[in-house]
Amino acid sequence: MIIVTGASRGLGQAITERLIERGEEVIGLARNTNGLKINAIECDVSDYASVKNASKEVKRMKKQVKAFINAAGVASMNMAVTTDESTVQKLIQTNLVGTIYCCQLFAPIMLRQKQGSFINFSTIAVALALKGESVYAASKAGVESFSRTFAREMADFNVRVNCIAPGPIRTDLLRGITDTQIEKITSQQVIQKQFQKSDVCDLVELLLDEKAASISGQVLNVGGV
Amino acid sequence: MNIEQAKEIVISAINTALEGKAEITEDMQLIGGESLLDSMKLVEVCLALEDLADEHGFEFDWTSESAMSKSRSMFRSVAALAEEFANQSEV
Repeated sequence: MIIVTGASRGLGQAITERLIERGEEVIGLARNTNGLKINAIECDVSDYASVKNASKEVKRMKKQVKAFINAAGVASMNMAVTTDESTVQKLIQTNLVGTIYCCQLFAPIMLRQKQGSFINFSTIAVALALKGESVYAASKAGVESFSRTFAREMADFNVRVNCIAPGPIRTDLLRGITDTQIEKITSQQVIQKQFQKSDVCDLVELLLDEKAASISGQVLNVGGV
Repeated sequence: MNIEQAKEIVISAINTALEGKAEITEDMQLIGGESLLDSMKLVEVCLALEDLADEHGFEFDWTSESAMSKSRSMFRSVAALAEEFANQSEV
């Protein structure tokens, strides 16, 4: 079984669909599960009690959890000086704290199995220090730092932790970003093109593969930096 | 479950993790420099306690916020862990 947060939209939805296509049993975690056509548990990753309840529900299923994919996230493209307090709180609480809650509360399931993989999501904005994404990038830099250290804590239990850091992928998070702005970002990547959701899904598959058993504590920047 | 039963269970779980190589006392620390358990062994103890709680018909939550955020952690001693285990059996 693979658990995906943010399964109702964007990258989380695309990853969920890809995993189901390849025959995986997927449980989606989403704030609103109404209308979702997959097995799903209502969960707000930014709320500790909500994540705790979801972890208990999964634990009671007594199934092998192959991977946990932290795809839930929010974005706000603004300079720090024009980002209001509630947006700062929301970005940090959902992107960073939410990822930490999910990792710490679902880790015991994998510790017991002595097997599993966490895939967390960062952004290429961290490595490129993209102007106008300071708070968003800070929240994701926290995810990268947490993931690298968490990977070491989990390694003795044969649990791997990695980050995927996409560039400007076409999702709701990119609402309002012009093609020119996207080109400006992609021009800073090693491979100077806009990648798609399917490319990110390919990386997820790669990290889930047994052949990725030696990869942990890494950040995979989509397109390269 | 009373505290004495809980102590017996906790000591047994720690003893298994340490493979019987140390004498377990009630005031033995479970975390910190003086602990005989490294973090991996401590996790093994917690997972064993989860199983033992299951056998006794309750859920032992070692990631519980209330348990972890107390000013004095349940891992400060064998007796404290046993007390938490007994308390959770009553919920």
